[in-house]
Parts: sequence; C-alpha cells; structure tokens
Amino acid sequence: MSNLLHKELKLAVSPLSWFFLAAAVMTLIPGYPILLGSFFVCLGLFQTFQTFREANDILYTTLLPIRKRDAVRAKFLTVLFFEGLSFLFMSVFTVLRMTVLSSASPYVTNFLMNPNPVYLAFVLLVFLSFNVVFVGGFFKTAYKIGKPFILFIIIAMLLVAVSESLHHIPGLEFLHTPSGEKLGLQFAVLGAAAVLFIGGTFLSEKASEKRFESIDL
Amino acid sequence: MTDSKEMILEVRDLCKEYPSFRLENVTFSVPKGSITGFIGRNGAGKTTTIKSVLNLVHKKSGEIRFFGLDLDSHEKEIKERIGYAGGAIDYYKKKRIRDLIAVTKRFYEHWDDEACRKFMNAFELSEEKMPSELSEGMKVKLNLVLALSHGAEFLILDEPTSGLDPISREELLDVFEALRKTGVSILFSTHITSDLDKCADRIVYIKEGRILASDAMDRYLSDCKAAGYGETLEEVMLHFEKKEFSFGAPESTEQPL
Repeated sequence: MSNLLHKELKLAVSPLSWFFLAAAVMTLIPGYPILLGSFFVCLGLFQTFQTFREANDILYTTLLPIRKRDAVRAKFLTVLFFEGLSFLFMSVFTVLRMTVLSSASPYVTNFLMNPNPVYLAFVLLVFLSFNVVFVGGFFKTAYKIGKPFILFIIIAMLLVAVSESLHHIPGLEFLHTPSGEKLGLQFAVLGAAAVLFIGGTFLSEKASEKRFESIDL
Repeated sequence: MTDSKEMILEVRDLCKEYPSFRLENVTFSVPKGSITGFIGRNGAGKTTTIKSVLNLVHKKSGEIRFFGLDLDSHEKEIKERIGYAGGAIDYYKKKRIRDLIAVTKRFYEHWDDEACRKFMNAFELSEEKMPSELSEGMKVKLNLVLALSHGAEFLILDEPTSGLDPISREELLDVFEALRKTGVSILFSTHITSDLDKCADRIVYIKEGRILASDAMDRYLSDCKAAGYGETLEEVMLHFEKKEFSFGAPESTEQPL
C-alpha cells in the first residue's frame, strides 16, 4: 500500500491539494466561520480527483500488479493522508487559540464558533461527508465528479450552518466555550464524531470497492 | 491437442453483456511461445474480450486462467507476469517518462533496470520526454518497454499497429518476432490481416461477439482453402464479413424514348 501512496503523491496529487492544506490556518481567523477551512481542504482534494480522471489514472492503477480493489484503497488512503495532515494542523491551531491566544484581543468577542474539540468534531463530519458523498459517489462511475461534489457542497454548507447555529440554542452553549470549562463534554462530542468518521469512511470504502468491481473501465 | 500446462491463457465460456452488444461463450487459448493474432472487424468484440481478460470490465460469466491460475483469485500474481498495451500509452501523458518508470518499477518484484535501459536505447526513447511528445509508434514502444522491463512472459496488445505508418508497423512486427525468440508469448488484436501474415502462428477469429476460429494459422488457412473460403486471410475475412449494401435507390421514373 505504501507503493500506491507513493504513486499517488508522485503522479496524481494536484499541487492545489497541497496548497489548500493552508486552509487549516483559517482556524486562526477571528470572527469567521472557521469550519469553512475544512471545506477548502476538500476542494483541494477535488482537484486531485480531476487529475485522476484527466490522466486516466484509474486505468493505469488497475493495470499495475495489484488487486482491482486496491485501486479504491489507494484513493481513500490519499484522501485520508490529506485529511489527517489538515486535521493535525487544525488541532495545533485550536490548541493555540484555546491556550496562549485565548485572551488575545481579536478573539475575546466572537459570536461565531470558537475553535475547541467540538469544532474539530465538525471538521471530522465535513471530512466524513466528503469521504461518503464525494469519494463514494465517484466510485459509482470512476469518472463522474460533478454531481457527487455538488452534493458534498450542499452537505458541507449545511454542516457549517448547523455548527454556527447549535451553540445559540439554550443548553448547548457548551459547544461554543473556548476555554477548558466544558472540556469533558466537548471531548465526548469529538470522540463520537471520531467514531462516526472512522466507521462511515470504512463503510464508504467497502461500498466503493464493491461498486468499482462492477464498473467497466 | 496441447497440454493445458503449456497454455499461457485459457478463456472458457466468457460472456459479457452491454445493452447493444454481447460476448457469447468466448472460448480460446494461447499456447506458450506463440504469437497469436486476435482478429475481427471493428466492433466484433476484440477490445471487450481483452478488457474482460484483464479484469478491466466486469464479466457476466466464464473462466479466465493465466499460467493455469484463475484470474479472480490470483490477479496480483498474474499481473506481475503479463504486460498490456492498449495501443499507444494513454495515461499520464504530461509526466516525464523518467517519473513514470520510477513509479511503475516499485510495483514489480522482478523489475530489471538494465533491461529497461536496454529497451529504451533499442527503441531510441528518451527518459526526459513526456508521452505526449512521442509519435504513436513511439508510444506503443514505451508501453512495450514498461511491460518488458518487469520480465513479462506474456504480452497482451490491443490493436498496437492501428494508426501506425507502414514502416513503424513493420518495425513493430519485427520487434514481436524478436521477442518471441526470447520466449515471450504475445496475443495482439488487429483488424489488419497483413499483420498476421507477417508474424502470427496462431489465429483467434471473432465475429459479432462469437469465436469463429481458434487454431494454428497454417491449419486454419488450409482448411479455409479446402472449403473454398479463400486462400489468404483477407479473402477469408471478406468471405465471412462482406455485406451487400442497398440504400434503396428510387426506381427510375424516366420513360423510355
């Protein structure tokens, strides 16, 4: 599998996918719907799927001495690699805003979502929707990317709206708390999102393998 | 009859259905050390058969065995030992050949850098070029380099001579002949009968998704001659394939003078 990841990074991955990793920095923008950063990371990955299609990568990969389903695993591995990197950066910036930058003047008053474990939970949900709706949708044909990406945009924007709305509901203010007061509850939300992310991505990968086996290239 | 252990490829009762076309019980075999021409007119089912054999399309039913191994359960192992070229290279056309080789070689246990250099030199290919900068004939040769450098024992080539000028075609057929002498077996599809006259020792003839013949070239031609179908492969194909066209020209309304 490391050979496949090497192949993806050397031949297939669009430079824009690397560039859009910088969207993780959006976690630091004050008074901004910071969850959009995770959407931009996925937008960068979308460019790589365009490369897959334009370069006829699926044919090249399938002809290599691998099982046909390994071509699907390679794509999921690439996506997870970038999602993992950006999640790592976002986590670092979240910790910075929760600690050393917590009393910095631009961050003191913020009506939008604060970076905290709940924010990271929503990041995982955006990535999960990308993995299920877009990547899973791509493997229905292995060449159509427009429809699954539009569906992903709709879901990602809904998630942004939900993330910015929930903490205004009485009783759910803890979702917004920037400091460590409700950290236990916030980590519980992050844990639940992580379980959903891992389970959902795993199921999407298995479904994609099945779809890809029946596709005619 | 050749023993099945000596068969490089055995296809039995392969069926594949599309809305407007289907392969019906395609059965043929390729013996070790042969150059087998897979012939049929455009749309007869050559590419569908080859793609099924390579697991690129999903077959409806049938059995495919390479080197006596079932494709479904030994896909990775089989792909290590075969090479495929769908005519000209049609992936990563804007990447340097050096990068394509560097990535591809990591997947093959038996990749031979020395052999790769040898074939690159023999075919006068430069690693600094991109596939998009190569002529059609050179693209086919690049595909062959990638296949031969990992020690492929069996090459499957889908219409490798289509679109080539006569000199390049002749050169490529000479390459096939030279490869056979090194023990490589070849199955190549074509609709150009003269390609087979030049180098094939076996023929698999497909028409409208069904195999008409799978035999030694000499025997097939002598049988056809005896049956009165023609003396050359071209004549035989014309016998089986030629259609009479009538476009329903209106009858003359002119009155005789």
